[in-house]
Amino acid sequence: MTGKLAWTKIALPLGVAALLLLAWDAAVRVSGSDIFPRPHEVLRGIIQLIEQGLLLKYVVASLFRVTWGFTLAVLIGVPFGLFLGWYGWAFQAFNPMIQMLRPISPIAWIPVAILWFKVTDKAPIFLIFLASVFPIAVSAIAAVQNMQPVYLRAARNFGLTQLQLFRRVILPATLPQIITGIRIALGVAWLVVVAAEMIAVNSGLGYLIIDARNAGKRYDLVVAGMVMIGLIGLVLDLLVRQLEKFDEVRWGYANR
Amino acid sequence: MSLKRMVLVVAVLWCALITLLHLKLNLRVQFFGSKLAAETTQKFRVGFLPVTCHLTCPVTDFINKQMAGDGFFEPIRFNGWPELKEAYLSGYMPATFLLAPLAMALREQGVPVKIVYLGHRDGTAMMVHKDSQIYRIEDLKGKTVAVPNRYSNQRLLIFKALKERGMSIKDINMVEMPPPDMPVALRSRAVDAVTSGEPFMGQTELDGYGRVLYLTKDVWPNFISCVLVVSDDAIKNRRADVQRLVDGIAQSGKWLDQTMDHRMEASEFVAKNYYSQDPRLLRFVLSKPPDRVKYTNLAPLKKDFEEIQALAIEAGIMQGTVHFEDYVDTSFVKDDNAIQPYAWEGTKPTNQ
Repeated sequence: MTGKLAWTKIALPLGVAALLLLAWDAAVRVSGSDIFPRPHEVLRGIIQLIEQGLLLKYVVASLFRVTWGFTLAVLIGVPFGLFLGWYGWAFQAFNPMIQMLRPISPIAWIPVAILWFKVTDKAPIFLIFLASVFPIAVSAIAAVQNMQPVYLRAARNFGLTQLQLFRRVILPATLPQIITGIRIALGVAWLVVVAAEMIAVNSGLGYLIIDARNAGKRYDLVVAGMVMIGLIGLVLDLLVRQLEKFDEVRWGYANR
Repeated sequence: MSLKRMVLVVAVLWCALITLLHLKLNLRVQFFGSKLAAETTQKFRVGFLPVTCHLTCPVTDFINKQMAGDGFFEPIRFNGWPELKEAYLSGYMPATFLLAPLAMALREQGVPVKIVYLGHRDGTAMMVHKDSQIYRIEDLKGKTVAVPNRYSNQRLLIFKALKERGMSIKDINMVEMPPPDMPVALRSRAVDAVTSGEPFMGQTELDGYGRVLYLTKDVWPNFISCVLVVSDDAIKNRRADVQRLVDGIAQSGKWLDQTMDHRMEASEFVAKNYYSQDPRLLRFVLSKPPDRVKYTNLAPLKKDFEEIQALAIEAGIMQGTVHFEDYVDTSFVKDDNAIQPYAWEGTKPTNQ
C-alpha cells in the first residue's frame, strides 16, 4: 500500500519531468537552433558552475536575500494585516493605499531601490520584501474579516480579555489562511529574485542569468539559472506545505 | 506550543545560517579580524560595464594588482546603463565610465558630474544580418535599428550618418535595447540592424550571422562613446585619488595600444576575471582590425564635445545650456603625450 503510494508520488512527477526534457531536446533538435541549449548542455553548464564553486555561492546569496526580504515581510505583514482586519477604521484608512501599491511590479521599484539602498544587498532585500508583504498582509486581513462570528460570541460569553481573545481565538482561527498567504508570498518572493538581482549585486541566481547574457553565447547558463531557481522553488514549497500538516494549523480547517 | 517554538527555532537558525554563509562566501567577511571589510570601503569605487569602451578600467585594476600587489580603486561591474547611472546618482561610487552624451545631459540636468578622461576612441560597429539586403547606410531606410540607449553616442552617430546622406532620423525606426540582447535580436531578425560598443557586435560576426555595415572609424573617425566621469565632490575632496585614476587609465590605454601581445594578454585576464566572457570574443574585437577600437589620444578635446553637443541638441537629449567648460575638467591631464604606458610585460612567460 505504502509502496504503491510512494510509486505514484515519486515516479509520476519524474515521468512528467522526463517527458518534458525529451520534448525540449527534440524541439531544439528539430528547430536546428544553435543558440538555445539542449538539456545535456545545461547540465554541463551546471556542472561547470559547481566546479568553479559558483553555484553554492549564488544559491546562498539568493537564499540570503529571499530569507531576509521574506522574513521582514512576515514580521511586518502579519501583525499589520491582523490589525487592519480587526479594526474597521484602520482597514478603511489603509486599504486603498495597499491596493494601490500592491499591483506595482518590483521591477518598477528598481530605480528607487538603487537610489535608496545603493548597490548593496539591502536593495534586492527591499524588492523581495515589497513583493511578498502585500500577499501576506492581504491574507491576514481577509483571515480576520472572514472569521466566523460564532467564535467571537462564544469567546465573549467566556469573558476573555483582549489578549486572551487574540491568542486563544483570533490567532488559531486565522492561522490556516495566513499560512496559505505566506506560502503564496514565499513563491512570489522567490519569483522576483531574478528581477531583484538585476541590480549590480555580484552574486545570486538572478545575477547568474543576467551575467550569462553578457557573456556571449552562454544561454546554457541562463537556462541553468532558471533550472536552479525552479528546483529551489520546488523545495521551498514542499517545506512550507509541511507546516499545513500540523494540528494547530488544521484547527481552522476542521471547523469550517 | 511546542510546534510554534519549533518553527521559530528552525526559522531563526535558518536566518543565522544563511547570513553567515552569505557573509563568508559572497562578502568574504573574515570573522576573526574584519580588516578586509574595513579596507574595501575606503577604496575609490569606479563603475563599469563589460564592454570594450570601458576596457581600461579592469586593465588598470589588474596591472596595478600585478605590479603593486593590490589595486588602488575598486572596479564595480554593472550589467546595464540604467543601474549604473542610478548607482552613481545614489552616491555609491564617486567615479564611473558613462556614455558621453549621457554625462553631458546629466550635467545639464544639474547632476554634479565632470568628464575627466575618455574611455576609448572608436570601438563601435553597426551590424546587419548577413542575409539582409542592407549594404549601405542608405539601405537602412524603413528598417528597424537597435541602439543601446537614447543618450548613447551610437544614436547620435546615426543622426550624423543619415544627415550626411541627405536622410533624416524619420527614415528609420529606432528602438532602444540592452547590448547583451542585441546579438540574439539580430540573429532572430527581430531587428534589421544593431549598434553598440564591442564585444557584442563582434560576437555576431564570430557566430557567423552578422555582417559589418560600418565601423565607426569609417563613418565618424575617432568616435567617442564612453568617458570617465567623476563627481564634483571627489574632484574637490579626493583630488589625489582622481589624479591617480586618470593617470592609471591613461597608462593602461597606452599599454593596450603598445603591442598586439598586450591586447591579447588583456583579452585573457579581462575576460576571465572581470567580464566572465569567452576570451575569444575580446581577442577578436581587439585585433580584427587592430584599429577597431583605440585607447590612445584620450584627453578630452573641446571640438569633439562640441560636435557631440550639436548632435545631442538636434536629437533632443540636450538643451544647450551647458558648455565644454561646464561638463569637462581638463585639469587632470597636463600633457597626455608625456604619459608612459605601464611598464608591465604580462604573465605570458609563466602562463604558457
